[in-house]
Amino acid sequence: MNILVLIRLTLRELSSKATMYILAGISTVVLLGVALAVSVTSSADGETLMLFGQQVSPPVPAADLARVVQQMQAGLAGGLFTGIILFGVFATAGVIPDMLERGTVDLYLSKPISRWQLLLGKYTGAVTAIAINILYFLAGAWLVFGLKCGVWEPTLLTSSLTMIFMFAALYALVVFFATWTRSTAATIILTYLYLFILGGILQNREFSLYLISENTIYRTIVDGFYYLFPQISAMQENAAKQIMGLEMDWKPFLQSFLSGSVFLLAAAVILKRRDF
Amino acid sequence: MPALQCEHLSKVYRGGFRKKGEVQALQDLSLAVETGQIFSLLGPNGAGKTTFVKILLSITHPTSGRAFVLDRPITEPRVRRKVGYLPENHRFPGYLTGQQVLTSFGSLSGVRGPALRSHIDSLLTLVGMQEWRDVKVRKYSKGMMQRLGLAQALVNDPAIVFLDEPTDGVDPVGRKEIRDVLRNLRNEGKTIFLNSHLLSEVELVSDRVAILDKGKLLKVGTVQELTTTEESYHIGYEGSIPEALRTEAAARVLDIVISSEGIVARVSDAASLNALIDLLRKHKVLITSVGQQRNTLEESFISLIKREIPE
Repeated sequence: MNILVLIRLTLRELSSKATMYILAGISTVVLLGVALAVSVTSSADGETLMLFGQQVSPPVPAADLARVVQQMQAGLAGGLFTGIILFGVFATAGVIPDMLERGTVDLYLSKPISRWQLLLGKYTGAVTAIAINILYFLAGAWLVFGLKCGVWEPTLLTSSLTMIFMFAALYALVVFFATWTRSTAATIILTYLYLFILGGILQNREFSLYLISENTIYRTIVDGFYYLFPQISAMQENAAKQIMGLEMDWKPFLQSFLSGSVFLLAAAVILKRRDF
Repeated sequence: MPALQCEHLSKVYRGGFRKKGEVQALQDLSLAVETGQIFSLLGPNGAGKTTFVKILLSITHPTSGRAFVLDRPITEPRVRRKVGYLPENHRFPGYLTGQQVLTSFGSLSGVRGPALRSHIDSLLTLVGMQEWRDVKVRKYSKGMMQRLGLAQALVNDPAIVFLDEPTDGVDPVGRKEIRDVLRNLRNEGKTIFLNSHLLSEVELVSDRVAILDKGKLLKVGTVQELTTTEESYHIGYEGSIPEALRTEAAARVLDIVISSEGIVARVSDAASLNALIDLLRKHKVLITSVGQQRNTLEESFISLIKREIPE
């Protein structure tokens, strides 16, 4: 029950911030833009998907229109994916540092709640807030494509689960940085450093870090680091595959789940040992 | 049953990265506070008062020693169901109203439903914040935050309440009201643990007082015990005391101050006191009262702390 109270408090905290409204506002503007821009025209050659009056693809038989629309949905979801990473992290990075501020943390810790519950409640609250935004956008997009193109494939809706899972795994890393540094700015910088620099280097380690040494131990350590972090790019590919109805690779799910668990556990250990 | 008990508590803050040295915040502190008392902890800045309270609430971990609150180890979260806490410089989330603060923190303490709602009503009335209940706390003044903080500390109907500087930023009328609240809570059988640097206030409400300095417990006792100076006596008199008698009296005691308000004499034993009284009587000085000299709590506190400072 205490965790539910913490989730409610976190949602209230995030809903009091302009960033969450900006995120919802951007989603709304994009959805309206898509609603105005997308259309389907029928001709003797088949169905043509149009974007701002321009052909997106050559005319296809009516039965194949869903595939073309799903490709566009995958592209849109890719944009959402990047948006979640950039804006979602920015909007929620302060949840843990704010809780750990002197004068606030004392109030929480004096309640009959363990520290790991506190962390889990705040973590779940922040993930729930972003999940609501993801669902809002994808449900809106699904509705727009359904109404405008007549394509009601549920894959866009189900891909929300993959995206929420991806953010949950990434947010475990954010929570770890936040618990360790107790600073919103440092948390954002470290997360972005991982996402834009370290993550890329690790993913392309064969062409970068492997070149430093051929030592097996060194390369094993490098591989260990790669698998320690959530598999963001692989998850993004999975989301696109899911939307297009293709078979997904489940390994990144497992790796990201383990990575998220490790970082949450590490954050809980840091929090448990810390004096306030 | 003691409401709280600690045995040989010590706390050392280790120096972090690039920070040299350690800080010994508490040194082998053992203490027991009986149920139904207002117990105050006094000490200069950095004495370890807040660290001590934070250890009792598991906000800070002790380096060694153990402590019990309401007969349970402090490490058990459920013990805090019956504990209230008002931290110094507390910060409530600014996006909540006063009522939402009490609802949220009450819920976290395990109190929910209609019982919580009616309790919040009575608490807001108690601390004089009824008309501010729907205003966001970011608009509250310091004094209003303290009043809400006190209500928050009482929202779970605790058996023991820890209050760190509860009257900080509160006006004199408000301070009197808070003192009355504390007395009423004691009368209901609750234990109040008070951290305050306002010695005059502590003196007005406390049943027992402990003095802490540099992490060491210097003295524990009732206000009367701490303010009574055993070797000093006040002698009331009428009439005048000639210079020769003053000189003779000074020779019989360790120290003497004679004024129109009375004589304050520091003596080595009861025989010296009697010798002084005999001398005064022999010179026909009319003695109207004899009693042990009492200091204010502030005087006793300063005297005790000064004794601890090496020359």
